[in-house]
Order: sequence, then C-alpha cells, then structure tokens
Amino acid sequence: MNLLQEIWQSIVRRDSLSTDKGKSELVFLNVWLHIHPAKVKKENMKFRHSFYLGFITFFLFLILITTGIALMCYYRPYPPQAYQDMKDLQFVVFMGPFLRNMHRWAAHGMVVCVFLHMCRVFYTGSYKKPRQFNWVIGVFLLLLTLGLSFTGYLLPWDQLAYWAITVGTNIGSYAPLIGGQVRELLLGGHSVGEAALLRFYVLHVAVLPSLVILLTIVHFWRVRKDGGLSRPVWKLKPERETLVTIGAPAEAAPLTVKASTTKTYGLMEVVTGKPIFETVSAEEEEDTVFSFPYAFVREAVTLMATVTTIMVMSLFLNAPLEELANPAKTPNPAKAPWYFLGLQELVSHSALLGGVVAPALMVLALIAIPYIDRNPSRRPRDRKWVLWLFTIFVVANLVLIVIGTFFRGPGWALVPPWVHVVGGAE
Amino acid sequence: MNRRTFFKLSWGTVGLAALVSAIGVSLAAVVRFLMPSVFYEPPQAFKIGTPGDFAFGAPQFLVEEKIYVFHDRDKGFSVASAVCTHLGCTVAHFQSDEKFHCPCHGSVFAADGSVQHGPAPRALDWFEVTLARDGQLRVDKNKVVPPTYRLMV
Repeated sequence: MNLLQEIWQSIVRRDSLSTDKGKSELVFLNVWLHIHPAKVKKENMKFRHSFYLGFITFFLFLILITTGIALMCYYRPYPPQAYQDMKDLQFVVFMGPFLRNMHRWAAHGMVVCVFLHMCRVFYTGSYKKPRQFNWVIGVFLLLLTLGLSFTGYLLPWDQLAYWAITVGTNIGSYAPLIGGQVRELLLGGHSVGEAALLRFYVLHVAVLPSLVILLTIVHFWRVRKDGGLSRPVWKLKPERETLVTIGAPAEAAPLTVKASTTKTYGLMEVVTGKPIFETVSAEEEEDTVFSFPYAFVREAVTLMATVTTIMVMSLFLNAPLEELANPAKTPNPAKAPWYFLGLQELVSHSALLGGVVAPALMVLALIAIPYIDRNPSRRPRDRKWVLWLFTIFVVANLVLIVIGTFFRGPGWALVPPWVHVVGGAE
Repeated sequence: MNRRTFFKLSWGTVGLAALVSAIGVSLAAVVRFLMPSVFYEPPQAFKIGTPGDFAFGAPQFLVEEKIYVFHDRDKGFSVASAVCTHLGCTVAHFQSDEKFHCPCHGSVFAADGSVQHGPAPRALDWFEVTLARDGQLRVDKNKVVPPTYRLMV
C-alpha cells in the first residue's frame, strides 16, 4: 500500500486536493494545466459572459485532429483513388461514415464558433488594451480555419468538391498582378487536377494545422498573461477614483493616494503582522475561487457537451458525397462552400470588387479594429456607434450567405427556396 | 567617425545585407520549388480528328478538351473555348438561341462569344485550328484568334 502511494505521489508530486496548497499545486506543477491560474474570478466564468465559445472552438479542433488522423489511414490523395477511398469510407470501413460525419460537422461547427467567438469578443469590448494584438491573432486563426475548411473541401474529389474549388480558386485569381500566379502555385497546375489535390492535402493535414496550433498556443498564453477571460461588462467597476492608504499602521502618518488602474502588484516579501498595503480588495478576494474544481469542471462539461453534440449530429446527418469529379460537367448551379457563398454572391455582381476588394477590405478592417477603436470604455452605452457598425457587418455577411445558399438556383438566378426547379436550364 | 565605429558600421551593413539576401534567395527558391517544372496535364495543342468527323450545324462539344467545334457548310471550322471567363465553369451551348450559358453565375455569351449578360469580364476565347500533315484537325489553345477566324477545308 505504501509503495502504491509512493508511486502515485511520484507521478502527481502534490499535496492532497483537500487542501488549498494541493489545489494550487495541481495547477502549477502540471504542464497541461499550468496555462490556468491557480485561482479564477467567479464572475468571469459565467456562461452568459463568454458562452464558452473559445473553449468550444478549441474542443472542435481537437475532434478534428482525432477524426482527421483516423480518416488519413484510409485516404490516398490521388485521383481517382481519392474518390474510391471516400466510397470505401462510406460503405466498407467500420464506423467510416460516422468518423467522416464527425469530421465534417466539427469543421462546420468550428467555422461557426470561431465567428461567434469573434462576435462575443467584439460585443464585450474584450479586444481593448492590453488585448489588441490577441484580437489580431484571433483574426488570423479565423482565416486559417477558413483555409483548413476550404482545403478539406476538395479532398473527397466528388463533383461538389471539384467545382467548389474551381470556383473558389478562380475568385482568387482576380487579385491584381499576382492572383493568377498564386492560383497556379496553389494548384500546382493550370486547373484543378491531381497536383492540386496533393497540394491541398499537404496544406490540410500538415501546414495549416501546424499554424493553427502555433497561433493557438500564443492566443491562449496571451489570454492568461492578460489576466484570463475579460471581466464581464456587468462587473466593471464604476469610473471613480479609488483612494488607497499606504503607510505603516502605527507610528507614521498614513499616506492616501490614487489607486492605479494600470499597474499590477506582485508579492515582494512576506512579513508577519498586519498588511501595510492592499493589492486585492476584500470584495475581489471573495469573488475568487480555485480553478480546481470550479474552472476544470466547467471545461470538462463543455468538452463533453461539444463531443456529444457532434456525435449525435453525426448519427443522424450524413456528409454529402456526390458522383466522381467530372471536369467536363459543371453542376448547375455550381456553389462554393457555404461560408464562401456570401463571397460568391458578391462575385456574381463584380469579380474584382466583390471577389478581391471587398474581402481584402473586410479582413484589413477586422485586423485594424483594436487600433481604430481607441475608446477605452467597454460599456455598451459608451460604444453605441461601433456596436451598430459591427452588427451591420455581421448581418450583411449573414444575409449574403443566406441569399447565396438558399435563393440562388440554376444559372445563379434568384429562386426562392420554396420553388422547386426541375432539371435546370438545359 | 573613428576607426572603431567605421568598422562596426561596415561589418553591420555587410552582415545585414548578407542576411537579407540569404532570406530573399531562400524565399525565391521556395516559390520556384512550388512551381512545377513539369505539368502532368493534357497538352495545350492537340489533334481532334479528321474534318469528316464533324457534322455541319450544331457544334460538337469535346469533353476532355473543353472546346466547342463549329463546322459551317459555307465558312468552315472554328473552335470556341467552353471555359467561362468569369470563374472557370464549363459553359453550355444552347441550340435554341445559339448562345453559351454559364451555370455558375448566369453569364450569357452570344454566338460570337461576346458577353451579353452576367458578370463575365470578357468574351469567350476562340482557338486557332489548322490542318495537320496527317489530315487531322489540330487545335492550339495557346493561340487565341479573333471570332471571325475560320478554317476552310
């Protein structure tokens, strides 16, 4: 019994979790947990503050890595074998359809959650000083997510994949000067062919995931260094000057100064007796709980809920697989993946303006947000203008995607979804 | 400027220049590496068969080559690209109105390939068609010709 205890102790190397010291050591002696602080603010963990969207996105990414590696065991990135492998995954491989469904719904879910996470961070003003650059990293993570989804879209090598990527990469070729060359570099040829499939595969399973992992590490690290999740708007302190008293309790006269909101204080030394200055107000201290179990339980529940949702969806909703890619026959209408349908809608009006200028401006504007919006207040009533602008941006994107997805029929004609077109315009 | 500062500056400049050029050359090499030296794609110039293979009237669509071959009784042969100039979808030629229709974004091209409707930025390409020595028709996609181009056999 003693030996077992000794072995266990040699693994965890901490005090019992029934003590505060043990709870702290669990966090900071463990390489996987030490990205957390030992204690967290209770209010910051409220679901209605963050909706846990960052966590959900991260967990979806974990699902994508696991199911993706599993799918790689049965996939050859080479036409037409790629398509045959998809058929095998669909009809022969044990649990093949389930894994493929999970991969697909997690991928779509990640696009959605990354976007919603961005909205949450915007609406709570959490990109403001000192978190400006972490917002920029977040925008790049959004772009990488779209890139991962787009490269993955080609891999089944069916009609859907082939034409979505043909249309999608042609949009890119409208970029002035370099557009055509970039497209050729991406495709490894003049049209979507076997070279393109291999390149998209390499991007999808090696290059882009590595970049996402690298940026995610930086993203998390900076959140932690900036004091964890942002303070919920409803807990922001009133804007008044707080006075604190500094000085020895007995002999000298106490000194009253303005409390700094920009400085943080660390523990410099430990002395016995009454404290001579305070770093944390009593109210704040009461508001703080240990990460174990309060934060960890919430994360574990979020993980389980995310996995369960994706699993249930994968039981009932099948990822589409159309016929083998046929360069000669364009389906009518040919559509890009849904998150690019807003872009395709713009492109249907003007290829250069809609396909290059508008998206480039959108990305630049997103990156620049924390540097343009210099208003320090995070309170909604101080930010009416920006909130309206961002809402218009979000709604415009959604409307375009909905039009492209549901209201565009054969020949890209406006067809409401409740009208059924037979056969197309042939 | 004394001797020491002079050497510090010069070595610094030389070092920086070396670093920048090394990075530049490496980047150029990476880009060149990614540009295939050989394309395993269908050739741009190819033979499509003898003139007798093509009937008069409705154009014949060649699937692999993505071209429409027109054979007019009086004027002769002409070859149009079936690739939409907008985003690369394959256009369909309707016999009813003798126009090309793109399924992706609704572009419509007239019988001579010019844009009539939709977002397409320019007219469909017409390719040079010649008679090869072995009596077959030869199409060269690298040679774009005006829509009035005809080959009389």
